[in-house]
Amino acid sequence: MNAVIARITLRQLLSRRRTLLLVALSAIVILVAILRRISNAGDAKFTADLLSTLGIATLMPLVALIFGTGAIGAELEEGTAVYFLAKPIRRGVVLATKLLVAIGCSIALTSFPILAAGLIAGGDGSARLAIGFALASAIGSALYCAIFVALSLVTSRAFIWGLGYVLVWEGFLAGLFTGTRTLSVREHTEAFAQAIANPAASVFKADLQLGTAMVVAAVVAVAAVTLALRRLSRIEIAGEVA
Amino acid sequence: MTAPPDSASGTAPVAAPGASAPVELTGVSRWYGNVVAVNDVSFILEPGVTGLLGPNGAGKSTLLHLIAGLLAPSAGTVSIGGHPAFADPQVYRDIGLVPERESVYPFLTGREFVEANAKLQGLNDPGSATQRAIAEVDLTDAQDRPLAGYSKGMRQRAKVAAAFVHDPQILLLDEPFNGMDPRQRLHTMGFLRRLAGEGRTILFSSHILEEVERVADRVLVVIAGRLAASGDFRAIRRLMTDRPHTFTVRSSDDRRLAAQLLAEPFVTGVTLDDGLLVARAADYGAFSRSVAARAREADVTLYEVLPTDESLESVFSYLVRG
Repeated sequence: MNAVIARITLRQLLSRRRTLLLVALSAIVILVAILRRISNAGDAKFTADLLSTLGIATLMPLVALIFGTGAIGAELEEGTAVYFLAKPIRRGVVLATKLLVAIGCSIALTSFPILAAGLIAGGDGSARLAIGFALASAIGSALYCAIFVALSLVTSRAFIWGLGYVLVWEGFLAGLFTGTRTLSVREHTEAFAQAIANPAASVFKADLQLGTAMVVAAVVAVAAVTLALRRLSRIEIAGEVA
Repeated sequence: MTAPPDSASGTAPVAAPGASAPVELTGVSRWYGNVVAVNDVSFILEPGVTGLLGPNGAGKSTLLHLIAGLLAPSAGTVSIGGHPAFADPQVYRDIGLVPERESVYPFLTGREFVEANAKLQGLNDPGSATQRAIAEVDLTDAQDRPLAGYSKGMRQRAKVAAAFVHDPQILLLDEPFNGMDPRQRLHTMGFLRRLAGEGRTILFSSHILEEVERVADRVLVVIAGRLAASGDFRAIRRLMTDRPHTFTVRSSDDRRLAAQLLAEPFVTGVTLDDGLLVARAADYGAFSRSVAARAREADVTLYEVLPTDESLESVFSYLVRG
């Protein structure tokens, strides 16, 4: 971890205009919980649906997509990456720093709003549900960030590919074909949420077994970080082309 | 063209036998798919200022990025102090780089930007190094303003300060004077000359010939990815024996002197225009030696003899046009 790179990355990620959109999206999750609580008594089923649909399926991937692709990929695009790549710092340290900052930002804008929304929405065992979803979203955010950081080192269109993965693979194909759920971070996260929130999680059911989710998530995380490190270690910054 | 590239030093050896040259390229090519950006380039850089010249798209930035270890050569080797430049972060202890792209972190102040570079270099006293570098580029008064509010010239100077803050032995600058006003430009030129005088190796690219002529001891001329010429540009010009050298001569009797000069086998033509004698000679040295003797023989007083196409501009134009 390099403190200078961490500080600059943090300021850069948070100074982008799209970060304001993410803050607004986080606020919406909490706002929906407040509105529901004002008009109805606490309902664990509603709380679980809210955290799953708006928190895990919507907020978490979008936040991780923006922070994950922005941590290194945006700097490569803008040309500022040269200021930390042309320095006597091991690329592994650069990668670890950037990844940890992206994960930290993602957790801040995903897990805390999910925790707050779960506690506000209420219902039987809502505290356990809120903690389960919040912790699971932290793991899911880390996994997404690893994937999106790696993707940003493979292609300059990481945002588009990442959005395609979230919308098409996880949002569409995973609903049609059960096999595709194995490679869905959203499904992994729900499996973790169910395991952590049990027994309160009886109000919802994850589609993936916990064991499968753990193994696949670990393999994907290691593969993504390894790929990212390999790409960053040999990354090229081109000059003009004749 | 008869200006074979040798080393950027022209004639002098770069380093003592057995020692590694600061920068050495051997048979370096770089291509992107079917596009050849740099084609079989070899040269050695020695301490001093070397200007990298070429038309747009000639491969200047690609060469600088290859030397900076930011690009891998498709063929050949690029070494910094004897070590391969690419994929070795440790080479950046000896290299300072000013990239061409203007992008900086807009939310940082000039001081924060330079200090961040000092810290990333692992300096023991980044604060002092930052103040020294900022003072060198004359940015002290603006150091606490965000880079977002800097003019293009100020950003360039901040980038130069950031590249220099760790006191590197090798400075690579891609179009460093872009956007600077004349005063800033002169200041930075003087700064680079001083660094070179302290024994550093400085390579900068520019498309403004006057800048290169003022600052560089030597030039590397790149055309279509190939090294067209290297060395002192006046020496390069003299090697272009297929291009006559042009001199303007002022004397007490231009007409008589013109007749005398035409008797020389190496004088290819003379013209008298607006009271000015213009002579073209195939051999620069022979003309320089004989003009005074011929004037004396003709009892003509010489007032001025000036080579008119020895400028970098003429050398560059001859090389580019072929």
